Amino acid sequence: MGESESENEAPKVKLRPIVRLGMFLISHSHLLSVVCCTAGVLTLLLLPLLAKNTYISENALMPGSANPMLSSQEVSEANGLVKDLTSLDLKRMASGIESQRLIAQYMSNLGAEVSFQKFYPQSNQFHPLHFFSSPDSATIRENISCSSYGLNTVGIIRAPRGDGKEAIVLVTPYNSEKIGLGEALSLGIAYSVFSLLTRVTWLAKDIIWVVADSKYGEYAAVDAWLRDYYIPVFSGLGIQNAEMCHGLEENTIRERNMRDGFKRAGTMAAALVIKVADRSEQFEDSLSIYAEASNGQMPNLDLINIVNYLAVHRQGLRIKVEKMWSLLNCKWLKILGEILESLGHLAKNLNPQWKFGIPAADYVEGTATLTSSLYYQALGIPTGPHGAFRDYQVDAVTLEISSRVSSNNKGRQNDFLLRGGRLIEGVIRSVNNLLEKFHQSFFLYLLTSPSKFLSVGVYMITFALLVSSLPMVAASLYAHANNLDPSFEKNESNHPASAADELGITLRSWKWLYAAKKVLVVHLWGAVVLLLPYFICQIPNCTPTTSFVVWVLLSIFSLLILFWILGSPFSYVYASQPQQREWALLKSVTISAAFIGLCLMSVINFATAEIGALLMVPMCLMAHPLKLDVKSRKLRNFSRVACNLALGFIGFPPTAFLVFKGVFEGFDGISVGDFWNWLESIWAWSSATYLYIGMIHLPCWILCIHVILHPC
Amino acid sequence: MEAKEQSKKKELWYWNWLIGSVALRVILIYFSNNLNLASRPEISTPLTSLRRLAEGYWLKQSSMSPYAGSMYHGSPLLLSLLGPLTAKRIEGQPDHILCSLVFVIADVASAMFIRATGRNLQIAYGQSLKFLDLVKLSEKSDILPSGDIAALVYLWNPFTIVACVGLSTSPVENLAIILSLYGACRRIAPLAAFGWVMATHLSLYPVILIIPMILLLGYGPDTPPRKLFLQRKYVEVGDTPSNDRCQQGEAVDQPELPYVFSWRPVIHFLFWTSLWLVYVLVLCGVSVKQYGGLWELFKRTYGFMLTVQDLSPNMGVLWYFFAEVFDFFRNFFLIVFHGNILFMILPLAIRLKHRPFFLAFVYIVISSMLKSYPSVGDSALYLGLLGLFVNELADMKFSFFLFCGYIGVSLLSPVMHNLWIWRGTGNANFYFATAMAYACLQIILVVESVSAMLNHDRKLRKLSATKVLDGKT
Repeated sequence: MGESESENEAPKVKLRPIVRLGMFLISHSHLLSVVCCTAGVLTLLLLPLLAKNTYISENALMPGSANPMLSSQEVSEANGLVKDLTSLDLKRMASGIESQRLIAQYMSNLGAEVSFQKFYPQSNQFHPLHFFSSPDSATIRENISCSSYGLNTVGIIRAPRGDGKEAIVLVTPYNSEKIGLGEALSLGIAYSVFSLLTRVTWLAKDIIWVVADSKYGEYAAVDAWLRDYYIPVFSGLGIQNAEMCHGLEENTIRERNMRDGFKRAGTMAAALVIKVADRSEQFEDSLSIYAEASNGQMPNLDLINIVNYLAVHRQGLRIKVEKMWSLLNCKWLKILGEILESLGHLAKNLNPQWKFGIPAADYVEGTATLTSSLYYQALGIPTGPHGAFRDYQVDAVTLEISSRVSSNNKGRQNDFLLRGGRLIEGVIRSVNNLLEKFHQSFFLYLLTSPSKFLSVGVYMITFALLVSSLPMVAASLYAHANNLDPSFEKNESNHPASAADELGITLRSWKWLYAAKKVLVVHLWGAVVLLLPYFICQIPNCTPTTSFVVWVLLSIFSLLILFWILGSPFSYVYASQPQQREWALLKSVTISAAFIGLCLMSVINFATAEIGALLMVPMCLMAHPLKLDVKSRKLRNFSRVACNLALGFIGFPPTAFLVFKGVFEGFDGISVGDFWNWLESIWAWSSATYLYIGMIHLPCWILCIHVILHPC
Repeated sequence: MEAKEQSKKKELWYWNWLIGSVALRVILIYFSNNLNLASRPEISTPLTSLRRLAEGYWLKQSSMSPYAGSMYHGSPLLLSLLGPLTAKRIEGQPDHILCSLVFVIADVASAMFIRATGRNLQIAYGQSLKFLDLVKLSEKSDILPSGDIAALVYLWNPFTIVACVGLSTSPVENLAIILSLYGACRRIAPLAAFGWVMATHLSLYPVILIIPMILLLGYGPDTPPRKLFLQRKYVEVGDTPSNDRCQQGEAVDQPELPYVFSWRPVIHFLFWTSLWLVYVLVLCGVSVKQYGGLWELFKRTYGFMLTVQDLSPNMGVLWYFFAEVFDFFRNFFLIVFHGNILFMILPLAIRLKHRPFFLAFVYIVISSMLKSYPSVGDSALYLGLLGLFVNELADMKFSFFLFCGYIGVSLLSPVMHNLWIWRGTGNANFYFATAMAYACLQIILVVESVSAMLNHDRKLRKLSATKVLDGKT
């Protein structure tokens, strides 16, 4: 970043090419940064065009190569289970354990090993370091109330051809207190597959069927089971709590058997979460795939590919992934799609080899899917119970099947169970063929439709273009701030001998330290702001709006305190004389910090970094002291002032959130409390986005505002 | 009067920050179980990990060789010093709290020694500048003295802090190195010899520091190039004795001192070195007598370092290379990689012989870049020493770039590690990329600091030449 410093050191000496390149970049940084930024935004809009068709990368999977074996016999058995469950629900048995017992009975009739797992719901806790640590360091168990617990039922089939080292997991979440028809049907589908798999000869991996008790949320149940599976607690708190709770119950011996009988199979190759939507589709049976886990992690693309392939080509289901519905009716997007389509036609006329045009409708659809893909990855909240598996490096997806008409019709229901069961069977058979864990295909990708994806190599270009302007501008600002210092120039030009007088005193090349200190203090403040909600949550009876207001006030207060502590008495060493172009150095350091932060975030969670960069990069690049602009009274300067104010407004996280929410969902009924709620949700899931907002975005915004209001 | 008050204020400021750094360490030690720093590969290498040391101690207590099972590879002396502390648990306190406190003390002691060394260097440098009549250069600036800056940089460097809190033995190793340099600077031969022997014994690589130490003891601390003094002398001889500048020259105690190699301290140093060496070897021999003797010890410690047996990822570049290389080329590349350090010793020693302390700094950077199991503790040491040359390196290029680079790499490296090990979406190349970036940063640092130092020398030469011309006319 300091390449141009050599400019003044030895202007006549022929410089190394890399230095000359650096100098070229710095001297044209204004133009280049504008070009890079626009290119970044444009390529983002072009992304749906660049999406490739998915393909199955791992040869061993061989999806659909075998005929499905699931027959109407299994389906009728499953129908029996569904009927029993619904009748159980109609009778409204007082003890919730009845349905688990029924399922366990069905499982053991098939010859599977059955066990129960008891778990206590945990309140979501904030672990700021969760991201950097292994899952086991987060097992702090507190506040267990003995009366409320969930009970997972787990059935395991041992594979006749396996060595018990690997397993495939089926998960069916259901609410043990009130079983809906959808949940009963999902249990039915899983049961039909399960009963088939007890008989087949080709099974090489054990099958685990987890009937997760979603009384306290689907994710919590699956997460509790996984934690017991991978990180058993041998001593200490866990057992103590369990013992404590057992004392309260009469049936202690049976409970103990339940707990000790926790059964395991091998490491998990893949997990499928099966759900049946209660709502019914109008036209045809369809299948929704949910794949986003915490921090925007995705399962291996191959898993989605086999599901997609089998559902479309074998079972004739319509595949859906989440879309941003409000974008579908967007006028300008349609126009853009048409322009791109006509451009594609034009290109095809010029050279038939060029095929990049897609129909406008596809473009709009792709953009809507891509936006929602970005949004759900950026949130960092898992979109279903499959998210719990990703923390243990297990690839998992949630498959939500919805039927065409409400399934009261007996024949319809059988057909539905058959198709669902065959789909699951096919996927399991493919995964069963795997020799190693999924590794062939992509982990880092964005979906633009169920059968189209953008790999990391493509979408990183967008981000790199957007962000690459930051170091250029930082370097040029830094170089200018160092060169244009009047005292330095005078010394160099007029009497070179006396330059030595300054030599010992001015640490010319270390002038940025003062700005760096400021930036560091603001980033520290960001960390403080992040921790504040933890304390605000302890205040009882707080509406979201008041919590938000308290938070803002406390943040401002802490900022003042930090500046008072670190700003005044200790800073005399570096702050002895305020420099002329201090704001330029400050801006340069701010931009560098933003650059580092964004690059870091792009590795952790690309979607967050991309959205953050869209907001932050223009703000950082435009920031310029208002005072200087107002002084010079030109149209260009006034437009810059306007830009600065607009970008400063939109760059502030709460306003950005509210504006986007308003644009997508309409402006009525929006309050600042919404932001608090949103933040609380990503906080509760310990998403890295929360850290990003507090540690990178907010400090950067404050520093940009500081530059804009700088008294130079 | 005002200057005195100013210096008093600076003193107070220094002590405040020192106490602050100790307080921060203590707080972090209290939360060390939550931070889980001890398991980070950047902090505890197979050589410096305290957990391995505790394991070695446990083996020794159950009368087995501490080196059994390839867990512990450190010195047996450290084992008997720190081992009993690892076994002691205080109820309600984090594990290894006593060891952590020892490391805090080691850090503070290192900082104090750096400060004392810095003062010594500054006084000596000021004297030689005065002799060259470049007094203005040595005038006190409004910033802190370089020794204080270096000590504070060392104490507040996040690398030092995490190395201290993260239960790695590198604070002790750093203390030994700093002790030896301090002793050499003050020309205290026994102390210098002790420091050098201990540093070599603990981490082997400081063995190359013997060259700058001999230069330090022979010539004294850093000075401007010797040629200037000769020029100066020549001019003085030519001048009339009534010249006032000549009187100034006489004010300096020994004008010949900077460019005469005095053998006495060197001989002393060598004598003491052999004495300490024998002593340490005897102690080691006694403690490993029933476990295979000294040869086994060398094989398990220095052999382990030199043959790069542990290929678990760290922030160096060797593990990746030796994981990839074919077995029959292994010995060849081991020689090549270690030769890399040795190749650079002689040319640097010739070019920088007038600045032995800076030479020691350069050696430390190079060895911490190319050593087999580097950790952040090594970087902490050379970054602290860099602060000693704050006046000479005022014009260093790329300082801001290096700063950003260090921050970026040290944040990116844990993220990449997480991506590879815990999430499974990355692979070894992700982590190794940050290791390479880190190595590049260190190369830029060493190249730029050396060239800044040479530029500084050139500037001095120019100034002194103009002075000489002025004097003649």
